[in-house]
Amino acid sequence: MANVIVNRVIEFLKKYPPFSFLSPELLAQVGREVDLVYFEEGEFLFQKGEPAKSYFFVVKEGAIKLTDHFEGKEETVEICDEGDVFGVLALLGKRPYILNARADENSLVMAVPVGVFEKILSENNKVSLYFASGFASGQVVVRSGLSQTQKVRTLFGRDTNENGLMLFSGQTTIQFSHPVIYCHTGNTVAEAVQKMSREKVGSIIIVDQNKHPKGIITDKDLRNRLIAQNLPYSTPVTKIMSQPVVTAKKDMEFSQVYLNMVKHRLHHLVFTEDGSSDSPLIGIISDHDILLSQGNSPAVLIKALQESQDIHELAKLRNQAEGMLKYFLENELAIEFIAGILTEINDTLIRRAISMARSRHEAVFPELRDLQFCFLALGSEGRGEQLLRTDLDNAIVYEDVADELKEKAQNFMHLIARDVMDILFACDFHSCPAEMMANNPQWCQPLGQWKKYFSQWIREPDPQSLMMATIFFDFRAVSGKQALADALTQHVYEEINQAKVFLNFFAKNALLNPPPLGFFRNFMIEKSGRHAEKFDIKLRAMMPLADAARVLILSHQVVGINNTFKRYEKLAELEPSQAALYRDAGKAYEIFMRIRALEGLSTASSGRFIQPDSLGKLQRQLLKNAFFPIDEIQKILKVRFQLDYFGN
Amino acid sequence: MDWKKLFGFAPLPKPEFIKVYEKSMERKIAGGKPVSELEFLVIDTETTGLDIKRDLVLSYGAVQVSHNRIRIASAREFYLRPKKRNREAIKVHGLVRERPYVSREQLIRSFLDDAQHKILVGHHLGFDLAMMERVGRSIGLGKIKNPVLDTFNLALRLDMGKFYDPQAVVSTDYSLDKLCERYAISPDDRHTAAGDALLAAQLLVKLLKAAEKKGIKTFADLMG
Repeated sequence: MANVIVNRVIEFLKKYPPFSFLSPELLAQVGREVDLVYFEEGEFLFQKGEPAKSYFFVVKEGAIKLTDHFEGKEETVEICDEGDVFGVLALLGKRPYILNARADENSLVMAVPVGVFEKILSENNKVSLYFASGFASGQVVVRSGLSQTQKVRTLFGRDTNENGLMLFSGQTTIQFSHPVIYCHTGNTVAEAVQKMSREKVGSIIIVDQNKHPKGIITDKDLRNRLIAQNLPYSTPVTKIMSQPVVTAKKDMEFSQVYLNMVKHRLHHLVFTEDGSSDSPLIGIISDHDILLSQGNSPAVLIKALQESQDIHELAKLRNQAEGMLKYFLENELAIEFIAGILTEINDTLIRRAISMARSRHEAVFPELRDLQFCFLALGSEGRGEQLLRTDLDNAIVYEDVADELKEKAQNFMHLIARDVMDILFACDFHSCPAEMMANNPQWCQPLGQWKKYFSQWIREPDPQSLMMATIFFDFRAVSGKQALADALTQHVYEEINQAKVFLNFFAKNALLNPPPLGFFRNFMIEKSGRHAEKFDIKLRAMMPLADAARVLILSHQVVGINNTFKRYEKLAELEPSQAALYRDAGKAYEIFMRIRALEGLSTASSGRFIQPDSLGKLQRQLLKNAFFPIDEIQKILKVRFQLDYFGN
Repeated sequence: MDWKKLFGFAPLPKPEFIKVYEKSMERKIAGGKPVSELEFLVIDTETTGLDIKRDLVLSYGAVQVSHNRIRIASAREFYLRPKKRNREAIKVHGLVRERPYVSREQLIRSFLDDAQHKILVGHHLGFDLAMMERVGRSIGLGKIKNPVLDTFNLALRLDMGKFYDPQAVVSTDYSLDKLCERYAISPDDRHTAAGDALLAAQLLVKLLKAAEKKGIKTFADLMG
């Protein structure tokens, strides 16, 4: 029976997760069962090591601090205020408490019996994810949980089916052309063309007797492979079709489909029943379909960038990309997707800039027209993680030339680098304060010199070298001769094999930024009214994870994976025993990227400095949970590279 | 020969639940029992007025406090159907709000069940108890025999000591509203019986903590 007292409790609880996920009936069930307990300042609610009670807590009024003992002193780990849920170990496995809970001021606390919640936990997906992901306070054991947080985040405040890219056109499923126009492998081109003409389509799929797609013929193929080749119309379709066709599953995530098409410049993607090409055809999607349905899409933007000749237009297009980024972030698209698109946009811009610069200067250096070079992205852009237009870090490596051409090659490359950088600056990228950019002659060098640089950093790992290594080791070929970058990678691994101790130095360097344990102590100070402190998310949260990933991936001699989150994915694969931790670290990194990008967009800054109280309750929890893997990862480095015995 | 019974003057036989209640009152709470282990029933009534002889109970709210915890599971809210229902008034207002109406017997039964072995608590509790006795009289309830604790008196005592001079007190300073303000209790659902009972319960747990600091540690201390 509804009554005023129970309603009062329900009204309060329903404002806060996880209670906000409950149906009115379940909420009433929970509300009826709680106790209100009053604690005076300084009183303990529970102490570390005590067996878990049969209820967990929600702060109704006041503040409860969770504390731990460090070197004999009681230190605050976290402050819980109105609506915060804590003491949930009671709910999860009934282990003894791992922290103390003590009233920081006079507080009224709700005790929610575990009994009523256990059933909910097993039945309500959102609630169980909430707890499994460690959103409740003082839940230090989040090891297996972080990979869930992304899932949870999308659950909060929005419907689960709302997280696909189809938001663009308001659809959540892939819409492909249908019926599909196809003909059989036995048909002639003439028969195929008649069909295409009748159906007014520019392409036709060739299928075998089982309706498995074998190839595709487009208008372009007719032009290039039939007419230009002087072949008769009776030519079998199999002779001129493009094959194999790229196939996908129809229920594949749209963002994945889309990213694939953008990245591989596919014009058509064919859908089959099971996603393989040995399965019946069910539909086709063309880039044209996408362009038509989505005016302001990455594909359009990339295409426009590719075709632009004008520096102002490039700048305008790049600004447009920022709006898109905001949209992506606000709609909670996967970071992997967002970073993939943004990297592709930046890379396209750079390629465009290089081609413009090249055509401008080529004529002056006729003897160097065939000079091979490679434009390298470094740092976060090298890792394919640069969401905002922050500092540029890049370099040029070109092939070694004969002595008499050395100076000329240097001049040519430098002119190109200068023009490219000017275009990038015009597009609102920022200059690197340390001038680690291709227009700095030091970083626009032939392969031979680059090898010397890397050898020196590896063989003389002083602090300066290690600092360089953290930036330059993440190089990625953006444009030009990939083989030059590959040669450099090869060289790096050879050198490291010669001087293995480098990795120990590199690992030690990765520990320079300890995890931000002090964050929530600052948070507490700020709460009591002192000067608000900001939090450096790049230095304190992202760099430790990126640095650790780099060292670990180097130690496994893995080539070609630069994304920090993909590196962790790879590490999870390589070291199954630590897989959970690595996955958490990767997810944590994605969370930091997202929060930083949002902060940067909202404050028109690099997003590096976060004001903790500008974050909502869930975001704060998310951030806090994401810190935990840092410490664990650093412990792995310490043990693996024996850093405790490793002198300075 | 029981003449009264013979001529129909005698009250109806006492219902079993009243007997059970009265029996339970024979067991006294030990004076040495720590305050933190005591069990309370906090009640409040809304009435048609302040005249114990004439006015009627409209609603009743109650919640239990034990071991310093307010037990929401024990929350009660009951409404008695007004005796003289004014049909005209109902017509004017168009509708009557649906209330969890109960009979007087149901109300008294619930109250007595909850009250067993409890210390009764309320703000100006004497009035509420007098009203409850009036509701219960016709079904055989005599005096309510529980130990009682008035939050008004307890708040006063904490300020003035045990032997304060009632004349020196401005009683409005100790109204439920004023005390809620002083003890940082947000006055939600004020002036509904259940809402006020919850406020009084919150006041009680805070006063008990304060009392403990002043050396009021046992049941005997609290009642003394």
